[in-house]
Amino acid sequence: MKIIFSGVTKVFDPDIVALRDINLRIDKGEFVYVVGATGSGKSTFLRLITRELLPTRGTVSAGSFDLRGMRRADIPYYRRDVGLVAQDFKLIPTLTVYENIAFVMEAMAVPQRVVSYRTNEVIEQVGLWRRRFMKPAQLSGGEQQRVAIARALANSPSLFIADEPTGNLDYRTASDVMKILFSINAAGVTVVMSTHNQSIVNASRQRVIELAGGRLVRDEASGGYFAQSRGDGQEALAPDRQPSPAARAVSSAPRRERVNHDDHA
Amino acid sequence: MTTLKYVLRDMGRLVVNHWVLGLLTLITAAVMLWILGMTTLFSLNVENLLSHLESELTIQAYVKKGSDVEQVSRKIQALEPVYALKAYSPAESLAKLQEKMGSQSRALDLMGDNPIPWNFEIHVREVGQVEPLVRTLAAMPEIEDVVYAGMVVQRISALSAVSSRVALIMFVLAVVITALVVYNTIHISLYSRREEIGIMYLVGATRTYIATPFVLEGTLLAFLGALIAVGGIALTYFPGIALLQGNLPFLTTSLIGDTRVIVRFCVLLAGFGATLGWVCSYLVVARFMHSVTRPE
Repeated sequence: MKIIFSGVTKVFDPDIVALRDINLRIDKGEFVYVVGATGSGKSTFLRLITRELLPTRGTVSAGSFDLRGMRRADIPYYRRDVGLVAQDFKLIPTLTVYENIAFVMEAMAVPQRVVSYRTNEVIEQVGLWRRRFMKPAQLSGGEQQRVAIARALANSPSLFIADEPTGNLDYRTASDVMKILFSINAAGVTVVMSTHNQSIVNASRQRVIELAGGRLVRDEASGGYFAQSRGDGQEALAPDRQPSPAARAVSSAPRRERVNHDDHA
Repeated sequence: MTTLKYVLRDMGRLVVNHWVLGLLTLITAAVMLWILGMTTLFSLNVENLLSHLESELTIQAYVKKGSDVEQVSRKIQALEPVYALKAYSPAESLAKLQEKMGSQSRALDLMGDNPIPWNFEIHVREVGQVEPLVRTLAAMPEIEDVVYAGMVVQRISALSAVSSRVALIMFVLAVVITALVVYNTIHISLYSRREEIGIMYLVGATRTYIATPFVLEGTLLAFLGALIAVGGIALTYFPGIALLQGNLPFLTTSLIGDTRVIVRFCVLLAGFGATLGWVCSYLVVARFMHSVTRPE
């Protein structure tokens, strides 16, 4: 899914400018890091893509959707094509691992048999088979993040948004999460990931968008966080272009059918 | 069909996860709907009693001697408030009076000739029409005198107005309290799951899909409350009626005791409870979903 920001400014009350006049384009199948200090506008940038926020000025489009002019009733259908992984995981605490993942397909009225097959498939791909009947509170941070990734994969999205997905994880777990993200990207899915972690950025040599004070200060095709050389033990964080089981799960997933729900509430 | 299955399962989860809150709502809805039902039945009984008394109210109009009774009868019958009219000859009137006086009727013999003229017993449609009709009759040249229970008419009229107002107030209060309780329960249930709702919306669930289990929960709780209220009415109303009829036999014909009428009333009450629950839940869910899903 292609994303285009045209003259986007976002101002929060009272007069806090989170983003200023952002113009950029992310092509289908790209892997993009969004970096910057705390308060630089990374999360605002991502939340504009997920349509949790609306730009104060300018337009954001994703695929065929104009996110600013989009009808409210169309938002769920757009979001079904966007996999979202957040730093705080955003799992439903009262549901088990299985139920958290199955939910996104149930909301699309996918038959129970298909839901069951697909849910078990993605749970197995992220290595949580033994944890499938546990609640999020019973899992470690890394496991919760993997549940969030599995949930995002369940609908086989064409855009994957990851907001600091490794922020709460140790090095080894972060490395596992990154491997999954690279493999998802290898299957042709656009991935936009915000991070503070310079090791991750430097290791993979993907496109880097840097924000500072709400402005786009750097957009390099394979920049790295800093102009550092490799050989610092970061190979584990570098992309492996061979599709992993998770990536195969994305590409082998049954395509969604648009299900019309009345959206009156 | 698949969506319905998921929605019903989610409603079940809601009821189970918030069972204490649900139980409180159920009890409150049941009590308020029972009060609503009993208040309505009470006011229906009062209305019934008053209309029974009204039907007993008559105006006695005495015709001047020498007037054409047939003509006067037609003239009175043509008046709008008149429901029924019966003419009594002097002889019939005397016989009635003697019957009423019983052993004291010998006193009437002292009067010599029968002094009672032709007269009409007039029934009106509504108690409020008595006074105007009396004025019209008194103004007629063929009518010598008009006799009616003026004070009783005024009191019944006033009592009818007061009882209608009290019943209306009780009805509105019971509806408002039940509505508020259901509204609050669903609101608390929604509020406690606001983060969850936000996540559901973020991963692609439609607002209808998220909202429907909450609306169904409110409807179900109010409906179950209404069923309990119906049970309460069955357990309290019929014994109450039996007690009243035992102690006040003259009320026998005025009270609503027909089982078919009460069953119909109970079906209406259950339907009303479910509708009230649905309306309240829908309003609170629509309002909540609108605020939660609005982009900043």
